[in-house]
Amino acid sequence: MSSVEREGDESRSLKHINEKCVGCGICASICPTKSIKNGPVLPIARGLVDMDYVNINEKSCCLCGLCAAACPFDALEFKIDGEDIKNMDDYPKWIKDAAIDSEACIYCKACETACPQDAIRVQRTLPNREDLVIGEIGVDQDKCISCKICEELCPGDAITVQKTGRNEYETVVDEDKCVYCLVCKRACPTDAIKAVCSSCAYQDYKFDPETFKTHGDTILNPDSCVNCGWCQEICPVDAAVVTKPFEGEASFDDEAECKGDSCHACQDVCPCNAIEIVDGQSVIDQKVCVLCGACANVCPQKCIQINRTKINLENVRSKSWNNILSSLTSGTGK
Amino acid sequence: MPVTIDTEKCGKIENCPGEGLCIKICEKGALVEKDGDVALVPENCDDCDLCIQNCPNQAISKV
Repeated sequence: MSSVEREGDESRSLKHINEKCVGCGICASICPTKSIKNGPVLPIARGLVDMDYVNINEKSCCLCGLCAAACPFDALEFKIDGEDIKNMDDYPKWIKDAAIDSEACIYCKACETACPQDAIRVQRTLPNREDLVIGEIGVDQDKCISCKICEELCPGDAITVQKTGRNEYETVVDEDKCVYCLVCKRACPTDAIKAVCSSCAYQDYKFDPETFKTHGDTILNPDSCVNCGWCQEICPVDAAVVTKPFEGEASFDDEAECKGDSCHACQDVCPCNAIEIVDGQSVIDQKVCVLCGACANVCPQKCIQINRTKINLENVRSKSWNNILSSLTSGTGK
Repeated sequence: MPVTIDTEKCGKIENCPGEGLCIKICEKGALVEKDGDVALVPENCDDCDLCIQNCPNQAISKV
């Protein structure tokens, strides 16, 4: 962990949180005193070296806090007299956000599976099986000839013909397993099985649809969320809404010599799972890219260019900060 | 065209700050360990240039 702390008229501290950092290089590119350097981003991402993504030069850092304000992953924490500038009125505010509407959510877990940062947890209670499978079944033992046709056919293994005497048998139905499909009833040569599926017979109208529903809660952890938009993309009921930190486009230079199969550095550093190698070439999915630029920085062939058109950071009151931040949206990718 | 290793800048793997990072980062098997040194297998090199970018000694280049 890299950190700087100094006491003057007020106490100021800057702390880098490596777990949240992706090594995108935005902080290094905007630091007015050039006090931030990135570590070896790709080897760190691949777990080949145990180092921090960011190193802050304690001597030259002027503790202005711009890096912390502009980090799209909240990986830099800047405090004045113990208070985080993110909570202070005078400092910039991200309007990036991700939220899941628990009312609209159907708890399908598609977002939980897709989230590249494991930031979503779906806790769900399924309806009771007994409430969904409703019916009646009985075997007329007098008519039953113990032929075992029903036992062989039953798709739920719910019927067993049990031996009860020297040459006596009883056909037993396990009602916990039976789903009243009526296969046994149709196939019985002696019409010994009486069964009905209430759901089919009554066309559901007798039942309270509430009892068929899955209930639950979907929790999004803002500390690990990177606002990539995967949840929004994949949600079948539009319950997830994401506002990304930047607007714009990541473009791929088709002239450059991408060696996707052997290199895939871009894919390895991307925090959003936005990059796929298709036919040996890197393909960026714009819909889930946050335009952080980590991929562009690690690409040895300089195949990727980040063109940001807007930074969703409000309340930037300082003119000099505004000037520096505008370099992020000038389309240079740096 | 395969990369070239500047043996003077490279030195022994045991002295490398990345502990032979180029060998670990190359997935084509174009860089291998040989008697404590990094050795190039030119026919395996795919020209991806990952090693050039990531060598902590700036010992790998293309002439």
